[in-house]
Amino acid sequence: MIEPIIRVENLKKTFKVSKRANGLPGRIANLFFPKYEYKKAVDGISFNILQGEAVGFVGANGAGKSTTIKMLSGIIYPDEGNIEIAGFIPYKDRKKYVSNIGVVFGQKSQLSWDLPVVDSFELLRRIYSISDSVYKQNFEKFVDLLDMSSFINQPVRQLSLGQRMRADIAASLLHSPRIVFFDEPTIGLDVVAKEKIRSFIRYLNKEQGVTIIFTTHDMQDIEQTCERLILIDKGHKIYDGSINGLVDAYAYEKKLVVEFMQDYTIDEISDVLINDLEGHSKEFVFNPHKVSVKSVINNLSKYDIVDLTVENMNIERIVRQIYEGEIKL
Amino acid sequence: MKKNRVNTVHMMLFYSKITINAWFQYKLDAILRSFSVFLREAGTIAVVYFTLITFNDINGWNIKELMFLFSFIFLTYSILIIFFTGLRDFEWIVNDGRFDRFLLRPRGVLFQILASNSDWFAAIGHGGLGVLLFVLSANNVNVEWSALNIIYFAFTIFGGVLIQGSIFLIIASLSFFFIKTGNIRDVFYWNIRSFAVYPISVFPKIIQVILIYIIPFAFVNYFPSQFFLHKSDMIAYPEIYIYITPIVGLTVYLLAYLFWRVSLKHYKSSGN
Repeated sequence: MIEPIIRVENLKKTFKVSKRANGLPGRIANLFFPKYEYKKAVDGISFNILQGEAVGFVGANGAGKSTTIKMLSGIIYPDEGNIEIAGFIPYKDRKKYVSNIGVVFGQKSQLSWDLPVVDSFELLRRIYSISDSVYKQNFEKFVDLLDMSSFINQPVRQLSLGQRMRADIAASLLHSPRIVFFDEPTIGLDVVAKEKIRSFIRYLNKEQGVTIIFTTHDMQDIEQTCERLILIDKGHKIYDGSINGLVDAYAYEKKLVVEFMQDYTIDEISDVLINDLEGHSKEFVFNPHKVSVKSVINNLSKYDIVDLTVENMNIERIVRQIYEGEIKL
Repeated sequence: MKKNRVNTVHMMLFYSKITINAWFQYKLDAILRSFSVFLREAGTIAVVYFTLITFNDINGWNIKELMFLFSFIFLTYSILIIFFTGLRDFEWIVNDGRFDRFLLRPRGVLFQILASNSDWFAAIGHGGLGVLLFVLSANNVNVEWSALNIIYFAFTIFGGVLIQGSIFLIIASLSFFFIKTGNIRDVFYWNIRSFAVYPISVFPKIIQVILIYIIPFAFVNYFPSQFFLHKSDMIAYPEIYIYITPIVGLTVYLLAYLFWRVSLKHYKSSGN
């Protein structure tokens, strides 16, 4: 039995937000008698993560992802619940704990804007008291794997977003953390830059055995780096399991999009939902376990068809539909 | 423990090297900053100087003595912005997320804030002016430089820096509760400081009380100047006040630090 390296139990966090009043009288009243709303950002989340797992942590904006990451990394206290990571309680033993983790924020760089990348690395080397041999080894490895040799001596302000992100990732890993939180590290990057980062994260996890928690809105990031997915919505965990499991469980929908020669009134087909699209196109939505593609097409054989495509449910669409409330877990 | 302290000093020095390097990325900017700070502050002094030169004295203080009073403000401020710039500009550090980053590193948070920011080139401007004023006025007001006086002077400058650092620390703590603290800083630091260019005895009682007991700026320059000048208006205050600037500095800094700890807890529980 392997002990989990991250143990999170019934985590809760509520924020007090001041309520905005409408109109000038309301606002003046608010100045003297502020009204507050309580927003449950995280409402009873529990999970365990084993050493060496890579877990995608996914949810719509405002679902409670960032708040959870902040609690796990020790930046804020939870209101209720327990967190134990690598034997530490993050918000209690801050200084000892943080040497065990690395945190990469896609939106906030930790590099000095005006200085060459390597200067920021040198500073971190001292902040974390990294030994010469470890520093040298990590430095050479990251420069090579993240392809940084061309810009390592350039000031950060001259780097492209993709270069800066790679440098930021290396900066967070110089002290060889066992657990790394990636908070939207691919945001705003092009496909090539994303791929570089994904393959590096795969390497960290598979070759180095680093435990990874990865938040992103790009499901391809998750598909290519993680086996496990935790979905959260409105402060609750709504799914925790393999990515394939989610696809299998919710791929109960296939879509056939057909472009006809002209506007037809299509006869009803049992167990198939028909929606009108733009032009002469229509879509046919059905459960492939009940109705076969062939039988749907057979039903349409009397009409003139220009074009026809079949869309399968993929993880991207499933997650989008969960965000939009079309799929209830 | 000893190793740790050596390490901390090394960290400070390395941080300084980095902040200076960052400034030197824009060499002309850096040098101009020293100059413009010097000229700006010298300008305000010139205004006061030419306004007051028509009076013989203010409450018994002649213009040379007033310049001596001034010099303490610039000397302490120059040292202040080497060590406390991170607190002066703390609002931005919180808003741009640098503060969260400090919490993720295995070093004291306050240490990182103080060490990672130093306004070196403005310090040169303020310090240059402070030294100039001090040298010019000290000669004219017959300050005697005995060993004891030099020690007193060093401790007093240290205390004066701490008093102002405490004001910055308290204002910085307030930014955990309010997003914008610029106006608070203007009122509780800059306005108070603008009173300190005159001997406090010229002000109504209420302002004197504020400058001595609420925001003890009088201990930054007025009482220390009295140590050297022995002006008659000192009769209104306890003699001991002349000597206790370092103690006042340490005390208010300790109080400010406790307030900081409480506020930090608030930040961690509210997430701002």
